[in-house]
Amino acid sequence: MTFVGFAARNALRNKFRTALTVLGVAIAVVTFLLLRTAVASWTQAADFAARDRLVTRHKVTFIMSLPLRYVDAVRSEAPRLGIKGVTWASWFGGKDPAHDGEFFATMAVDAPTYFEEVPELVVAKDVLAAFKEDRSGAIVGDALAAKLGWKVGQRVTLESGIFPPEDPEKPWTFTVRGVYTATARNVDRSTFFFHWAYLNDGVAPVRKDQVGWLMSRVTDPARTADVGLAVDRLFDDKEIQTLSQDERAFNQSFLAGFSAVLGALDLVSVVILAIMMLVLGNTIAMGVRERTSEIATMRAIGFLPKHIALSVIGEACVLGAIGGGFGLAIAYPFIERGLGRFLEENMGAFFPYFRIPTPMAFAAFGLAIALAVLASILPARSAARMRVTEGLRRVA
Amino acid sequence: MTTNVDRTAEVLIRIRGVTKDYARGGEVVKVLEALDLDVNRGSFEALMGPSGSGKTTLLNLIAGLDSPTSGTIEIDGQRIDRMGEGALAKWRSNHVGFIFQSYNLMPVLTAVENVELPLLLTPVRASERRKRAETALRVVGLADRMSHYPRQLSGGQEQRVAIARAIVIDPVLLVADEPTGDLDRQSADDVLTLLDRLCKEMGKTILMVTHDPAAADRASLTHHLDKGRFRA
Amino acid sequence: MIIPLRYNLRSLFVRRATTAATAIGIALVVFVLSSALMLSEGVRRTLGSAGKADVAIVLRKGSSAELESGVEDPQVALVKAMPGVRRAGAEPAGSGEVVVVIALEKLGASGVTNVGVRGVLEAAFTLRPDVRVVAGRRAAPGADEAMVGIRLRGRMKGLDLGQSFELKKNRPVQVVGVFDDGGSAHESEVWVDREVLRSSFGREGSVSSVRVRLDSPASFEAFRANVEQDKRLGLMAQRETAYYEKQSEGTSLFISVLGSLVAFFFSLGAMIGAMNTMYASIANRQREIGTMRALGFSRTSILFCFLVEAVLLSLAGGALGAVLSLAMGSVRFSMINFASFSEVVFRFEPTPQILAVSLVVSMAMGVLGGFLPAVRAARTSPLAAMRG
Repeated sequence: MTFVGFAARNALRNKFRTALTVLGVAIAVVTFLLLRTAVASWTQAADFAARDRLVTRHKVTFIMSLPLRYVDAVRSEAPRLGIKGVTWASWFGGKDPAHDGEFFATMAVDAPTYFEEVPELVVAKDVLAAFKEDRSGAIVGDALAAKLGWKVGQRVTLESGIFPPEDPEKPWTFTVRGVYTATARNVDRSTFFFHWAYLNDGVAPVRKDQVGWLMSRVTDPARTADVGLAVDRLFDDKEIQTLSQDERAFNQSFLAGFSAVLGALDLVSVVILAIMMLVLGNTIAMGVRERTSEIATMRAIGFLPKHIALSVIGEACVLGAIGGGFGLAIAYPFIERGLGRFLEENMGAFFPYFRIPTPMAFAAFGLAIALAVLASILPARSAARMRVTEGLRRVA
Repeated sequence: MTTNVDRTAEVLIRIRGVTKDYARGGEVVKVLEALDLDVNRGSFEALMGPSGSGKTTLLNLIAGLDSPTSGTIEIDGQRIDRMGEGALAKWRSNHVGFIFQSYNLMPVLTAVENVELPLLLTPVRASERRKRAETALRVVGLADRMSHYPRQLSGGQEQRVAIARAIVIDPVLLVADEPTGDLDRQSADDVLTLLDRLCKEMGKTILMVTHDPAAADRASLTHHLDKGRFRA
Repeated sequence: MIIPLRYNLRSLFVRRATTAATAIGIALVVFVLSSALMLSEGVRRTLGSAGKADVAIVLRKGSSAELESGVEDPQVALVKAMPGVRRAGAEPAGSGEVVVVIALEKLGASGVTNVGVRGVLEAAFTLRPDVRVVAGRRAAPGADEAMVGIRLRGRMKGLDLGQSFELKKNRPVQVVGVFDDGGSAHESEVWVDREVLRSSFGREGSVSSVRVRLDSPASFEAFRANVEQDKRLGLMAQRETAYYEKQSEGTSLFISVLGSLVAFFFSLGAMIGAMNTMYASIANRQREIGTMRALGFSRTSILFCFLVEAVLLSLAGGALGAVLSLAMGSVRFSMINFASFSEVVFRFEPTPQILAVSLVVSMAMGVLGGFLPAVRAARTSPLAAMRG
């Protein structure tokens, strides 16, 4: 027998209570991981953004577009600016009247160049060829196609408040030419892409030759910010000024609008840790209280206060480790198989990749142990300070 | 484990002018008042007295669980009345074996592990610890109950495990607080016989608090305490 | 025979550290739940109170928000002239407004955020009698001036009295006033003259939406039929209340679902804490309970007694949590509203219902957490009184 073994056995002595506590810690760990995974999944669009891609948009508002000639302006200066490729897109804001409640992104893109400049969207060669061939063709995310049951060759009609059809009798219709998959985990696999040229054909004369934003690939990713400034300078004295950001900053500015939500989630993550600590501290304190005479006996035999304190803390470590381990064992199937799968399929626009970040799993396990130790400090102190003669007087 | 029994009347415990006060609700209560007491090495002596007479307090002072308000306590030539808490704990772990009314065994440990517990404080190696614990259990006649948990033992057996735990460090002094208080007559007799044997064969000095006259009869000498003083 | 409440109170007090730890756990759960509900209510109220029952809003068919919609000027005149629209003298009560969002730097947080800008004429104020200027003055018609909603004031760069921001290069707009609107979403908007906004954004000739005041709420259906009858117009009409309700749906649902989900998991944890506490409390009182049984208390009264104790414990926690969440009343929560793509500042709105729900949830946690332990207590044999 060793001292450590003794502490472990004390931790497990009241099986029912230990089971409840372990369950409590496990639930806290699962909840904590769920919150952190949600935050990570949401913010990783920014974290995984391509660093060599520059997004150029209207300086004042994202709802206004840029003239198409800006594309040529950037292209003609590309070698000087350090840009190796330019493409563009417009936000269509489409909705499938047949699936009214479903939100998915719809973008009109420059068919000849877009998929070359955005390599994380993987499209089979023949699909891409078929798409380029058909002016009303569309390529959709595999997740979206699966969810709405779209097949290759299917005709799809979309409505858009931003781009009402010129002729109300002739709505926007597209032919699905195939699907794209993704190489990177931050990519939304439920976007609907179609030809910008097709959009341009169908809008009123005043809205022709307008693009939502430009995307440029820079030669030297370290200089992306400088290149952005240089691009903006091109249009400084034009009617419409631009704002160029690298993709990461572009995504982050979207997240800025949700910073309060992210802040609240951070706060709530701390709250669940506090609840876990209270449950652990309570269990340990109850264990200590019930063992008053045992602790007094140990002191009588000659064990020092530090031995008693260490055994209580050791007990807490055992509880924290078992609870943390059990929590991880539940969290992986629950988050990655169950909820994560569901969110990826149904809310891919917000949570494209809902998986537990590995460092977070380690952190959760470590926190379970660390908080158990923290929670045991008060009970350990009161156990260590107990007066031996009083402790012995209390009958077990 | 057998020590040479010294029959000469050598004093092991020497108490002079020991007083113990407790503050209870702002009031000072004198529990023990100017006590003198000598206990010879190798004797088996009993402390008797009504509830609240201070017998357990005196036993606690002698066992080094508490310190007197004034007076001196010398045990085996060592003054323990002014020792600090850490020093007292170390002294207890080398010199005193404890036997309690409710045995106070650790329910999560087996009999042999309970006996082994005090040895965790010594530098003795793990295999040697186990061997000594087994020897002590054989001495109290429980060789066949080594891996039983306390709840699987009878009260008498539990108390014998506790006695094995008390002697495993080979202390000079055994203190017993109502060791038979929770036992039936037969088990009580067995425990008292065992204590007697430990005294006679191994030369342990035993000090026992009891209010059972039959138990006190087994001791060689009985001191009567009343309201903090010895009765003549 | 019923065991007096004082017995439970005393036993909770005797074990006060454990009681406090358990109650704080429950308080945290209730705090999170009640804050989320308060925020969700805040969203509903902020967006909801912008709508009036007798006002109809007309948008381009297929648009879900003013931002996406466009209505040509001649259509505006047609809509306003329709039957059912109230008239103040010769002029029908209607307002064609332009809504855009602009990017402004957030103060006190990094990044740019989107702010809604509404281009209005005098009619906008007639339709919204609750709008009051609380500082400065109204923007003068045709001038490059703006009024900011009170909730935006000082939150973004340029949005405070005397400061200015750009709608277009070299065309600064000066903030001359601050207004409030009884807590509605307009308080998170910037209002400028409609023509100034249209010329800055090159949107001459069209507006985002048309609002009209109807003769009475009941005349809406007829009005809608008229608007939607003409397929060539391509417009649709909604009650303003319904429109704003839909606007708040996504955000308010998002917050209450997220909040309730989190609170659900939290409550599992806290309930386990409560259960543990009650089991320990009962285990320590075996002899006491046995004695009560021996004295003649029935199993039911023991069961009830311990349930009451658990409920007292959880109610104390629930009350603490509810009080804590009331402190959130002074916190402003600013986030992008899903429907309008612009940042709206919300408040945590406490209501008696939310407080009641919080207390009921905490009580439920007490009952659920305390039931099994109480059953165990009730099954204690009177013989336990005799055991050590």
